[in-house]
This record gives sequence, structure tokens and C-alpha cells, in this order.
Amino acid sequence: MKIKFQLNGQPVEAEAPIDETLLDFLRNRLRITSVKKGCDLGECGTCTVLLNGKPVRSCLLLAVQIDGEDVTTIEGLSKDDNLNPIQEAFVKEYGFQCGFCTPGMILTTKALLDKNPDPSIEDIKIAFEGNLCRCTGYDQIIESVLRAAKLIKR
Amino acid sequence: MYQDYLGEVKKLLHGKDYKVVGKNVIRVDAIEKVTGRAKYTTDFIIENALIVRAVRSPYPHALIKKINKKPAFKIPGVVAVIIGDDIPGENQCGYYLDDQPLIATDKVRYIGDIVALVVAKDKESAWAGADAVEVKYEELPAVFDPKEALKGDFKIHNRKSPGDVKVIKGDVEQAFKECDVIVENIYKPGSQDHAYLETEAAIAIPEAQDGILVISTNQGPFRTRNAVARVLGKPQSQVRVITPYIGGGFGGKDTYGPIISSLAAVAAEITRQPAMIVHTRYDSFVYHFKRCPFEIRFKSGATKDGKLKAIEVDYLCDCGGYAAHVIGLLKRAAYHSTGVYEIPNCNVQGIAVYTNNLPVAAFNGFGNPQMLFAVESQMDLLAEKLNIDPVEFRLKNALVPGSRTGTNQLLDHSVGIKELISKVAKKADWVKKRSKQKRWQSETKKRGIGIGCSWHGCGTTGFKHDWAGASVILNPDGSVTYSTGIVEIGQGTITSHAMMVAETLGIPYEWVKVELNDTSRMPDSGETHAQRGAFIGGTAAVDAALKLRKKLNKLASEILKCDEDEITIEDGIAYSLNDASKKISFNDLVREMYQRGISPAEYGFIKARRGYPDPDTGQGDPYAAYTFGCTIAEVEIDIETGEVNVLRLYPGVAAGKILQPDVVRGQINGCAMLGLGYSLTEVVERENGKMVNPSFTDYLIPTIMDKPEIAEFISVEDEYKYSGYGAKGVGEIAFIATPLAVANAVYDAIGVRFYDLPISAEKVYFALKRK
Repeated sequence: MKIKFQLNGQPVEAEAPIDETLLDFLRNRLRITSVKKGCDLGECGTCTVLLNGKPVRSCLLLAVQIDGEDVTTIEGLSKDDNLNPIQEAFVKEYGFQCGFCTPGMILTTKALLDKNPDPSIEDIKIAFEGNLCRCTGYDQIIESVLRAAKLIKR
Repeated sequence: MYQDYLGEVKKLLHGKDYKVVGKNVIRVDAIEKVTGRAKYTTDFIIENALIVRAVRSPYPHALIKKINKKPAFKIPGVVAVIIGDDIPGENQCGYYLDDQPLIATDKVRYIGDIVALVVAKDKESAWAGADAVEVKYEELPAVFDPKEALKGDFKIHNRKSPGDVKVIKGDVEQAFKECDVIVENIYKPGSQDHAYLETEAAIAIPEAQDGILVISTNQGPFRTRNAVARVLGKPQSQVRVITPYIGGGFGGKDTYGPIISSLAAVAAEITRQPAMIVHTRYDSFVYHFKRCPFEIRFKSGATKDGKLKAIEVDYLCDCGGYAAHVIGLLKRAAYHSTGVYEIPNCNVQGIAVYTNNLPVAAFNGFGNPQMLFAVESQMDLLAEKLNIDPVEFRLKNALVPGSRTGTNQLLDHSVGIKELISKVAKKADWVKKRSKQKRWQSETKKRGIGIGCSWHGCGTTGFKHDWAGASVILNPDGSVTYSTGIVEIGQGTITSHAMMVAETLGIPYEWVKVELNDTSRMPDSGETHAQRGAFIGGTAAVDAALKLRKKLNKLASEILKCDEDEITIEDGIAYSLNDASKKISFNDLVREMYQRGISPAEYGFIKARRGYPDPDTGQGDPYAAYTFGCTIAEVEIDIETGEVNVLRLYPGVAAGKILQPDVVRGQINGCAMLGLGYSLTEVVERENGKMVNPSFTDYLIPTIMDKPEIAEFISVEDEYKYSGYGAKGVGEIAFIATPLAVANAVYDAIGVRFYDLPISAEKVYFALKRK
């Protein structure tokens, strides 16, 4: 089925099989490989994208469900090396190691800070409950979010 | 060959402070990773690549009577069906021993053993094809308990054990007679899944001159290359392995990387088309090899003045259907079985046993978390019997410079454990918190505090080789091209290498570009495991950079007409220390090298400075140096539910020079959480050797909600002089200490000791009920 949607602020028209997940559609058809497949079951959060500004797991949605909607992937946050404040914060606070969960973490940060510009550590924990990271132990991710909040306010 | 790299570097820098090493820099991989541009194996999308799906045995132990490929070809997209006999080279993929065919031909030895590969134009056809292949099996009696396997009439291989180990020192029998307290227990630390977020995958692409290119999730590009060359029957030069960014390894991709790469390579070689294989999360949980469960009988004794006298240890490692990684971790566990203590009399005997369980992998700690869980539980039990504080007891026995280990290795320097224990205990306010009188508790909640000490030899264990290369090219514009055989699995090692190269050359860190990991650039550099990435790999980087730095100094002294010893290079300027007006820029200096025909490129190559313990006595020097760890844990136990809540962790390491403080902190905190999972929630449930909780819903790795407060780590920088900048490894040590501290804290809280891991809420609940 032909779908039309906004991707990172640009209109996109594409053919999407009715049984294809948004994750496979983004990766295999649109070649947006920043969206990672960690489990394909909605359990790990590596495939997080923003749907109308809210974090969703792209492995649990069908591509056809985004017809007419607005989708943001990490490519929508920055151009070239001009990092978004959230990305800058993740660099400075070492909020990544292997990097596989990082696009999902950064998009979850964006959704959180858009809604709550001054989150407490508890708010951050709740927002990231569904994003697994096996490398960092989470502390430096929390510190990245706190620094991003400060950078954005400035 | 064994240079005092630390001394040489310090001399070159004229005793000045480091400009780069020991600082926090922007990681080499940072921008790519935060923008989503970092490429992992499955992000290399190859147009029209064939999809490979393995046909796996549903039986834990069976003879393969017949394989009928034909039904698979009824599925239109199927291109090839490959069985063991079709493999062009040798059908063998064992890690240390040649006991594992890549594709089983005569029998299967665990649920998931591969019997065929289906290669198809698309995923759906490959999966349908794999279902369609008809395999006739004749079931054999299977065994899942290693003790039963040893005793009973089971024949998985032509021998029951793939290997054993001994550490024999002093006179244990006599020593126990002289002990005032003796403690003996059986410990059963369990399995664990790596649960990295990126599953295993490999892509193989036929190249010119009959070569083959492999891009895969691996921690050992050279082992992967050699494994692929073997199954394809090609010289190693015909196989090129590119290792892109890896989404977590923890040892799992050390073991499974060569296997999955070989599967893709065989498919690509036979079809002469690009082929890829990708594990689903289910495949990863059920089929990739995991942490080895141990059963350890541990007897230890001390005199009443609190001095350890003797240990007697025997243990079994359940390695599953093939030896895979067991030989190495079996030996490593034995060589560390004294813990961080001086013990004059040891009798340690370990044996690995084949069963029909899933085989075992390397996994952070590599046998040490299991063995040291027993060691550190014993330490607390002895301390209690002796009525000595556990910290004091550890301090009385801790290794110091001049000590000898259980393998009789003399530790002449770089032994920071004693100072570390004191510092961590002080930071955690141990004395006050350990005192029972003032401790907070309620009707339903009890708190406790416990300590765990760990050590981990850096580099591979002394029964196989340990070497690594690196190359540095100075480009005519002064920029630097660096290559290493060490893999970036998230730990930040390539950044450490770039820092050390920059420091040694006297240039800004940003001038060093680290190339994509490619086996065609580099001599065999071993695997990225065993805390060797910075320790061995990084020293190779320093070795290469030093060779160039010496040439640069000489050239600068000629141009500036001064003594070589007075030349220094800082921030990309070479100048005379006696007359700063005598100077030349690094770029001009490099260009002059080209002009004068002085080679601007060097390889570094390092071999670990250690020996090979005697196989009968285990006496010798199995590691070049040891990293030490100490963690204190505070826990709160809900006695109504049995849930153990870790409130705070105080980690510490004696890991030599800390190259990147914030990156090391990330490693330590990450290790702590991996350790919490092993301590409390990560239960690999098995039926007939097969994992039956293969999802993140049923296999519980720590989430952000489970995160305790983790204190800033303590570091005792006990520099090691034969490595670049005195660094030791740091990737595994903090993991090992965590479960030991948690288990001891649980005992402190509720007076119940658990002899197996993980300590699940269910176990605590029933233990408290029984109490």
C-alpha cells in the first residue's frame, strides 16, 4: 500500500507492504539504519522513533500505521556534525559505549525534554524504563539527560 | 622484546605531566554513535545478499541418520542447501580443541546443533526452506548434569572431559592440621546470557582473486579470519575480516563470532554470491553460547591469628556439547583460586565435563566470577569463625609487592590491592555500617553490607599465545593514520590507543585517525578479550609510536642543531628544551622525513611478558600482570517477598594508570550492573539443556529502575612498567567483585548464606521461610 507521511520534517511517499513493521520499513526500504533491531518484540527500546513527538517502538507498529503521521528518527535531530544539545550532552557525559541503544536513548530524551524541560532523576528513570542498555550502567545516560536539559534551557 | 615502556615514555616526556593520557577526551566513536551514523554489521546492507538460515537439531543428543535436502528446493527462493560434507575446507570450528564440526555430520550434541544451512533469495524462503529440510535422527540418551555425565555410561565424545587443570603448591594435608579454623562448602554459580543489544550477525562477500570478505559481529577478527580460512580451505591471506562497530560483546562474540562468520562464508563461497546470516533475539538467547556453570567444593583453613594457610578445591565446569571456550576459563579459574591473598599451600583441581547442554562461551570474568564467588564467601565464613572483621581479615592476607601467588608467580610490582581495600572500606564507612547495633531495620526490611575482592590476570591465560600489532603512519600533512587489531565493542579502547599515540608523538589527540578494523592491515593481534585491549593492544600502539618518535627526535636534533636528548615535542611543535627558539612544527618535521627518505610508518608488535605454567603442578607465571578490584555493597531485603534491593555500591580498582577516567567509570558502572544481574535476577532456565526463557520479558537484565547508587570509583594507580603508560586492563574486574559483595551483604542482612548464583527473590523467600 502507498503511504504518505512526514519523516524528519520532509514529506515521504513510499510503497509499504501491509505486513511490514515500521522498523523493517525504515531500515530496509528507506535505509535508515540508525533505527536498530535489538529484539523485534518491543522489549528493548533500541528501535525507538518519535511518532508525532512521542516515543514508540517501531518494531510494534506496522509501516502502514504511519500514513499521514509525523515520524522523527535521530537523523531529524542534527545536520552533519552540528550536534543537537542532547547529542552534545551524550558526547560530553559519555552516555554511550557500544552505541547500539544510543539512537533510541537520544530520541527518548528528546521526547522527555520536549514535555518536561526540567526532569528529576526519578522522571528520567520512568521515561527510560523501556530502554535497555547493557554497557553503561545507566548513570552516564542519566547525567547526559540532565546536561541536555541544562543546555537546552540556556 | 619486553621493554620498560613506562620508563621510556617518561624519559621522552622529560618527566612532564601527560597532555592527553589520563584526561577525558571526545571518544573517537562519539559523533558517529550519537548521530546514528555508526555502522554495525547489519547496517552494511548488501543489495541482493542471500539469506542464510541454519537447520538446528531439536534433540540434545542423537545420531544423524539421513538428511534430505530435496523438500527445501520446492520453495522457490531457495538457492542452496549445505550440509557438513559440502564444506569446501575442514568441517571444524572448535575454539581451543578440534571437537566441534561447523555443521554436524554424524551426530548432534545439544539442542540447536547445526545440521544444515539453507541459503535463499529472501528471509521467508530461507526460513521455510530450513523448516522443509528433512533430517532423520536416532535419539541417544542425553545427560545434563556434569556429575552424572562423569559417572554414567554416556558417550558424547570419545572422552568425557575436554580438559583439566591443577595447581599444586606446598603441603596441603599438613597445613590443614595446623589450621585452627577450617571451612568447607559446595558452591554452584550458574549460567548467564550476555544479552548484548546487538544480536550475532555476519555478511560474507566473494572478492577478487577467489578471496572472501567477511563483515561480522566478532571480538576476534584474526581468529574469525583463521576459522573462515579453515572451513573454506583457503590460506589466511585469502580471507579479509572487517569488524565494524559491535553492539556489545562481553565475551559472547569472542566465542560465537568465528562460528557465525564461518556459516556466512561457507554459503557465500558455495554460491559465489554475498550471503548474510542474522540471529533473531530468540536465536541469540537459545543458540549462542553462555556463561559456564560451575560446581566447586572449596575447603579453606586459617590459623587463629587470622593467617590463611591452605586451600583445597575441586570443581567441575559443565561445558555442554563442545569444549568451545571452557579450557581457557577452567584454567583461569584455577590460577585465581587463592583470591587476592597469599596462601602457601594449595591443591586445586578442576575438570571440564561434556554434557548435552548448550556449550559455554567467554563471558566477562571468564571463570573468575564463579571461582571468586566461592573464595570470597569462604573468606567471610572464616572471618566469622575467627571473629575477625571481614575487611581486617582480608587486609591481613592480601597480596603485596613481593608476594607469591598460588601458581608461585612473584608479584614484584603493580600490586595495589591492599591499599585499595582500605580506601574502599573507608569510602563506604565500613566500620560504622557493619556495626549491628545502630543499623536501620524495620518489621519487613533488613539491611546489610558486604565486601568482595577480585583479581584478574591481564591478557590471555598462559597456555596459548598472546601478541598484538599496531601501525602508525605519519602523513605528509602531519596527520596520523592509526590501525589496530583490537575491536571497539563499546569499551573505548580505540580512543585510548589514539590518546597514547598522540601523547607519544607529542601531537594533539585529534590529529590521530583510527582506521576501520581490517585484518588485511595488521598482523595477527589476537582477540579483544581478557582485559588485553589497552594492555597488550595499547602497548603495541606505544611501541609503534615510540619507534617514530625516536626518529623524529633524531631528525629534529639534526635540523635544530642540538642534542637529541634536549628535543621535546609538544602540541605538534618540536623544540629544544635548552633554547625554545630552536623549533620546528611537527608537519614540517614529517615532511622532512619524506624528503630524506626516512620511513614515516612503523608497526608495533608486543608479546605478553609471561610464561606457561607447568601442566602437572600449575606452577608458573600465567599472566603478565593482574588488575585488582574491591566492591562494597549495601543491600536491603524485603523479608515478605525475598527481594534483594541493592542500595549502594562502592567500587574500586587497582588497574594501573587510568587512561580515560570517565570511560573507566562507565566501564565500572556497567560492570556493576552486569554483576547485579548475575547476582540477583538473571536465571537461565533450561529444559533438556535448552534455554526456555528466551526473551527480555522472562530473562531479566537490570533496567534503569534497578540501578542502585554507585559511588565514584576508587582508583589505586599501581602502574605496570612493561605496558604503555603503565595501564592494566579494567574491563572485567569490577564485574567480578559485584556478586561477591552482594552475596556477602545478603548474609550480613539476614544471616542466610547462598551457595549458588543468582540469589533470586524466590530463593531468599523460601530460605527465610525455612529459617
